[in-house]
Amino acid sequence: MWRFDRRLLLNFDWVLLGTVLVIGVMGLLNLYSATYTAPAYGTPLYLKQIYFFLGGLLLILAIISIDYRKLMAWNYPLYGASLLLLLAALFLGKTVGGSQRWIPLGFFNLQPSEPAKVMMVITLASYYYRKDTGKGFTLRELAVPVMLTLAPFLLIMKQPDLGTALIFAFIFVSMTLFVKLKWLTLGVLLTFCVTTVPVGWMYFLKPYQKQRIETFLNPEGDPHKAGYHIIQSKIAVGSGLKLGKGYLKGTQGHLDFLPERHTDFAFSVWAEEWGFVGSIFFVATYFFLLLWGMNVVTSSRDKFGAILAFGIISLIFWEAFINLAMVMGLLPVVGMPLPLFSYGGSSLFATLVGIGILMNIRMRRYLAPM
Amino acid sequence: MVLHKRRVGTRIDNIDDADLLLLKKRVDIATLVIISLIAILIARLWYLQIHLGEEYSHQAEENRVRAQVIPPPRGIITDRHGTVIVGNRPSFNVVWMKEDSPDPEEVLKALANILHLDISVLLDRVRGAASQPPYMPMRLAEDIPWSVLVYLENHRYQLPGVRIDVAPTRQYLNDEFASHFIGYLGELSKKELENRLDDTYQGGDLVGKTGVEARHEAELRGEKGRNYVEVDVRGFEQKQLQVQEPLPGADLALTLDADMQQAAEQAMAGKAGAVVALEVNTGRVLVLASAPAIKLTQWAGGISQKDWQALLDNPLKPLVNKPLQGVYAPGSTYKIVTAHAGLSEGVITPETSIFCAGSISFGNRRYGCWKRGGHGTVSLHRALAESCDVYFYTVGQRLGVDRLAEYAKSFGLGDLTGIDLENEKAGLVPTKAWKKKARKESWQDGETLSVAIGQGFDATTPLQICQMTASLANGGIRYRPQYVEAVADADGKLVSRFTPIVDGEVKGSRQAMALVREGLTAVVNEKHGTGSKARLEGVLVAGKTGTAQVVRLEHYKGVAEGNIPYKYRDHAWFTCYAPADKPEIAVTVLVEHGAHGGSAAAPVAREVLKHYFAGRIAPAEGGQPEAASAPEQAPGDGD
Repeated sequence: MWRFDRRLLLNFDWVLLGTVLVIGVMGLLNLYSATYTAPAYGTPLYLKQIYFFLGGLLLILAIISIDYRKLMAWNYPLYGASLLLLLAALFLGKTVGGSQRWIPLGFFNLQPSEPAKVMMVITLASYYYRKDTGKGFTLRELAVPVMLTLAPFLLIMKQPDLGTALIFAFIFVSMTLFVKLKWLTLGVLLTFCVTTVPVGWMYFLKPYQKQRIETFLNPEGDPHKAGYHIIQSKIAVGSGLKLGKGYLKGTQGHLDFLPERHTDFAFSVWAEEWGFVGSIFFVATYFFLLLWGMNVVTSSRDKFGAILAFGIISLIFWEAFINLAMVMGLLPVVGMPLPLFSYGGSSLFATLVGIGILMNIRMRRYLAPM
Repeated sequence: MVLHKRRVGTRIDNIDDADLLLLKKRVDIATLVIISLIAILIARLWYLQIHLGEEYSHQAEENRVRAQVIPPPRGIITDRHGTVIVGNRPSFNVVWMKEDSPDPEEVLKALANILHLDISVLLDRVRGAASQPPYMPMRLAEDIPWSVLVYLENHRYQLPGVRIDVAPTRQYLNDEFASHFIGYLGELSKKELENRLDDTYQGGDLVGKTGVEARHEAELRGEKGRNYVEVDVRGFEQKQLQVQEPLPGADLALTLDADMQQAAEQAMAGKAGAVVALEVNTGRVLVLASAPAIKLTQWAGGISQKDWQALLDNPLKPLVNKPLQGVYAPGSTYKIVTAHAGLSEGVITPETSIFCAGSISFGNRRYGCWKRGGHGTVSLHRALAESCDVYFYTVGQRLGVDRLAEYAKSFGLGDLTGIDLENEKAGLVPTKAWKKKARKESWQDGETLSVAIGQGFDATTPLQICQMTASLANGGIRYRPQYVEAVADADGKLVSRFTPIVDGEVKGSRQAMALVREGLTAVVNEKHGTGSKARLEGVLVAGKTGTAQVVRLEHYKGVAEGNIPYKYRDHAWFTCYAPADKPEIAVTVLVEHGAHGGSAAAPVAREVLKHYFAGRIAPAEGGQPEAASAPEQAPGDGD
């Protein structure tokens, strides 16, 4: 079972680990700044996040020691388990802010939609790899992956958590486009999407979700309620100017004008305190992480690894992009953490699992295919 | 490509070259997508932080910094000798932070008890403050007495959220001292606030509403200080940032003489009317009193409806600032004008003598002299001294109303004196043209007779009569009455100083004026003079009595004065200047329904003069009452 090769260690992806650590340290510094003024109950959040991070690194060690191709065999049990967790969240879950997203585990509230994202990537990668003919998928062949995506998507919409649900759609679209599609299939799917959006708007979205989108389109129309997040976040980011207000000196964050400043709006605090220069540094680091991930895709030893790596990169990219665009007022406010940066154990674990898989693929690039 | 059947987990093919190429192409496309989306983010960052950065910085500051207003101490008002007339003292106010009270109702109940107020009063104030942000303390009571303050301080732990706040408030030398003149402060109304373009004021600010306080609001108010504090999103203070101390208002030194003003007010106690004293050669206002006085402190926290109604209903009209807003027929004080005009126009000479038989017929009417037995043959000197009506009827008749009016107007009558106070009345100097225009009737020659002795259409304010007297005394220069001696800013630097303003010159010859002045000296000092009660030991006073008819009621003819209802009694005038040979000060007194100028008004003027000359005249020898120096009985007490 443990076919351990010396080359594995030689090929350990120090660059990827280093990049993740740089982003993680920025996140921790920022978390400290965002929360140190708040009254402390129990363990300070930054300390908790450090524990999560260390735990996540151990998880990476565990993941890289198993050949990623095993995932293909474990694919459906893992998929089933994550669906069960989502169901559990719906029935046993803790309600926070009107939505049932968390399963309380005593020391930690698990948000099952986070691991479900990674499971989704593994499931789709496995499916596409197995069914790949090299000729491109037909509409009928897409029926199964659509169903596989729809199940967690609907469960998460039920919580309701629009942002996370949308990520499933983004992963599906990205990965499906990455493997080959027939042009006809692509055309049909595009038409379908264009027609479903208005229907979804009318029947599918909850009033608060609609309001968020409306607010996004005109935030000044409702400055005290729904538009508040966007306005305050833009003020925080904008007032950072070129060099920022200085670490621990951001006013928007420390005086509570910024809501959710340690989770979804963490980057606002960063941009306020470190300015344009600091923000560019952050975005550049993130960009490097994504480029490196793409490198993992192309250097993968087999097609499964390539699709899997691409899925993970697209997951991290879409989450980061949507979060940053939201914080900068380019997209409506949805619940979406910035991977590796926002506070939150579930998201961090899920992302580090993804990073672990990337390392796994990278390390085994020279191994002979089975 | 041949379709490979693959079984899960058993066999995985290596990527073949064609597939690899395809994947690489797709990775490139995906990378391109990532690059373009990240470029959008970077462009957005540039737009927010660099392009709009200043704007957002400003908004962040507005979020964070709140300026608390520190009220500036209002400027102090002193009299010409530096006596403080209006100063400031701390007022202790009860304020309440509702959010700091766990049980707001309980706190209000307890407070109502301590303040001896009905709880509904407090509830009204809480409702009134409903629109202000929750971090702003609500003001529940102003200027609480010392005992309540001590009690509250000792029981502060039982009253969470209740605080004492100190703000400067006005302190008056005396609640009624020069009250019309000084004026009161009041809260700026919402409407006044909305009509203002600048942001000097905000709701609840006290501003001068009347009198000097209103006219010199801009100098007295000072500049508000600001206490900049950092606040969190709920508006609660986090830390002190910067304090900008308030700039106290400029101090105002008035030309008013507090001692004389007080003397005038005391002399008018129980009476209604006005006292004015002007410096003859400058126009400085030394006394400006209106009786009855108003109580300035009544307005301090906004006057109650009940008090306001009582003031409105008071028959003595305390709300009118009588020296400049009260309009009265000038009565015989107008003979100054008639005499001067007659001499200047040459219709009489000092030697011209006229026979007074107690009345004169004109047209088909008889015009009586106040002395029904008649004065016999009188010349100008005696006519003035004894205020013979028949003499002046004749002079008026010879002059005609329009010629007379020209002189009256050159004395400033019928027009605003221009004193810097609100609602001054112009009065009226009638002319033929005026009557045609205003009444659509032609002038009756008989009316000229009434006008010549200051009755009929003639209407003047005490301030005008005083200005007229001063102009006569100084040889014909009409100075504008002014009351500000100096304005000094908070550092004591002089901002402005009194400078006399000449508004005109009296028409006619200086010699005529000298002759009139001789007559006025006789009024006070000769045996039959009507103004003998103004006589002052050591100072030669010159003056003129007057009686203004309120109604011409034949009904009361011959009725003893005491039996005429108060409101139908004549107004009493006395106007004078002193010293007669080298005039310095002019004093005018009007006592409403005082009946006779000589008896009701002259003693008041004398009181004022006495205080003016206090340092210069030797104290009355042997404690002799001053009245003893006056003739045993003023023969003609009026006109």
